[in-house]
Amino acid sequence: MESLNALFSLGFATALTPANLLWALIGCTLGTAIGVLPGIGPAVTVALLLPVTQSVDPTGALIMLAGVYYGAMFGGSTTSILLNTPGEAGSIVSALEGNKMAKAGRAGPALSTAAIGSFFAGTISTILLSLLAPVIAGFALQLGPVETFSLMMLTFAAVSAVLGNSPLKGAIALLLGLGIGLIGIEPQSGQSRFTFGLLPLIDGIDIVVIAMGLFAIGETLYTATYENKMKAGLETMSGSFWMNKSDWRRSWKPWLRGTLIGFPFGTLPAGGTEMPTFLSYSAERKLASPEAQKEFGKGAIEGVAGPEAANNAAVTGTLVPLLTLGIPTSATAAIMLSAFQQYNIVPGPLLFDTNPELVWGLIASLYIGNVMLLVLNLPLVGLWVQFLKVPRPLLYGGIVLLATMGAYALRQSWFDLMLLYIVGVVGFLMRRYDFPVVPLVVGLIVGPMAEKHFRRAMSIHQGDLTVFLTHPISLAILLITVAILVVPPLLKRRQRLLEAS
Amino acid sequence: MIKRVSGEQWLAIGVIVLGLFMAWQIGDIPNDSGYAGIGPRFFPTLIVTGLIVAGGALLMQRRHRNGPDTVIIDGEDDAEQLEAEEAEQRGEADWRMFAIASGTLIAHMALIGMIGFTLAGTLLCFGICRALETRRPALDLVLSFALALGLFHLFKWLGLNLPALMPGGVL
Repeated sequence: MESLNALFSLGFATALTPANLLWALIGCTLGTAIGVLPGIGPAVTVALLLPVTQSVDPTGALIMLAGVYYGAMFGGSTTSILLNTPGEAGSIVSALEGNKMAKAGRAGPALSTAAIGSFFAGTISTILLSLLAPVIAGFALQLGPVETFSLMMLTFAAVSAVLGNSPLKGAIALLLGLGIGLIGIEPQSGQSRFTFGLLPLIDGIDIVVIAMGLFAIGETLYTATYENKMKAGLETMSGSFWMNKSDWRRSWKPWLRGTLIGFPFGTLPAGGTEMPTFLSYSAERKLASPEAQKEFGKGAIEGVAGPEAANNAAVTGTLVPLLTLGIPTSATAAIMLSAFQQYNIVPGPLLFDTNPELVWGLIASLYIGNVMLLVLNLPLVGLWVQFLKVPRPLLYGGIVLLATMGAYALRQSWFDLMLLYIVGVVGFLMRRYDFPVVPLVVGLIVGPMAEKHFRRAMSIHQGDLTVFLTHPISLAILLITVAILVVPPLLKRRQRLLEAS
Repeated sequence: MIKRVSGEQWLAIGVIVLGLFMAWQIGDIPNDSGYAGIGPRFFPTLIVTGLIVAGGALLMQRRHRNGPDTVIIDGEDDAEQLEAEEAEQRGEADWRMFAIASGTLIAHMALIGMIGFTLAGTLLCFGICRALETRRPALDLVLSFALALGLFHLFKWLGLNLPALMPGGVL
């Protein structure tokens, strides 16, 4: 109950100031816009906003960045349903049924169930976040550098082995991220590492350059090379916009189930939104009434309602480890972490004591942002559809222009533009050969933190490596890490052998 | 039997070469033993080893449609067929467009200091439009210019310093 007290006395008091309301509105609007636009996602937008937010006060800036993050999830469904090209990974499933519904003239109810479901899931997840976060933060206070390092190992294992379809490619992406994170001055000894004698590399490679290169430049190179011939048809909205009684009846249970599937997945280090949305889709498909089951594949409303709720719940869920442990579990969360670092704020258990207005203000703004997004996405959906009419070449031209500007503005140096292009080519290759990008970004941001905690643990325990196994919490975390790496391939192997025999 | 080296295998070789290059660079990191024996070389060594091992594993790995962990029974191997199917799904690569996009980015990099943000940006935006096979180039050129000019003034107003063609200028 203490947390409710803090939420109302501190949180809403902070979030409801005119300036912070404005930041939330800007964030939500921007988030919806980039969610709707294919080719640009929340990670790149948050990265692009980093330099701009430097002069804003931290609370307002983080409220805006959070608005971009979950606003993109609301907006992503519009693109999936009307264009059948998911703007975000979490909206892939919504495209399955949603686009079929739109083709059958039921775009309105599909968009409505997505928006209302997102609102519903977002609000329930925010309530869960408000209740859980202080408890987890309290527990996390007992974690020392030994446990924190083990927890980071778990995060590394989970993001690289669970996301994507090849653990090996995930591991390579992670190691690349860790390697890039090493570039620059090593803070404890003051030695420079991997700078190749180049002065601009001493400060390391900025996260803005990495995010822009991977997500904006890499994506543009890929689209130019492979997707010029692809044509996507925009569905028009016709018929009733609102959901009818039967739509409501068929939607509320999927919303609830989607939320319950999505939120825990978001909190896990193996976060991401693909898995919970796929799980929710298959659950709805199994649980649907016989006549609804026949509609699956032809446009069943359950197949939009569930995954969209799961998607939003998962995004809110990723804020739990970010705020309480300081560990990001998605690319966007990782870039948000560097936004905290920009203000010298360390997210983690202490945040609730040292910056209570910031944390609770941010959480309170989620409630407000959800209401804003419902309004932005339901009555104003027609406006966002106009966005989809921007011709693709011009859209990508604009994205690349913004990305290069973001990189150039860092230091006014062509060197960053060259790095941007190189990272872009790496992003292109990763996209072409199915390497997941999230492990790279998480490795880049968490890697230096992990090294710091490792060294701290070693100096406390006189270089005794066994401490990671003798501390019970650390041992438990490391055992889970090993299980994540070993169990899925073994299960797969067993299944295959059984099938063969 | 010598098989064609697939793109993925080239990539694996690239990862190994990168790892070896980094390993060579580790020698340049001064190794004061640090505290408790953990110096600034410790983590780089771990990561470089990881890169070389993972790159090697990727090089050896045969692709399979049931996922990379599949046990391959009786020499069954559909990696090439799988690749052909994927290539068909992906569509043919248009390297000319890749070159146009790359050239545009590199030209922008070289020119931004000389001709200022607005003109370099116009060129960049327009070049990307060309790389994405725009069907109305004249209009895109005008819109690119408008966008670059608008951004230039927006960010000048926000206090971000972008290079201009004319000192204190409009462009």
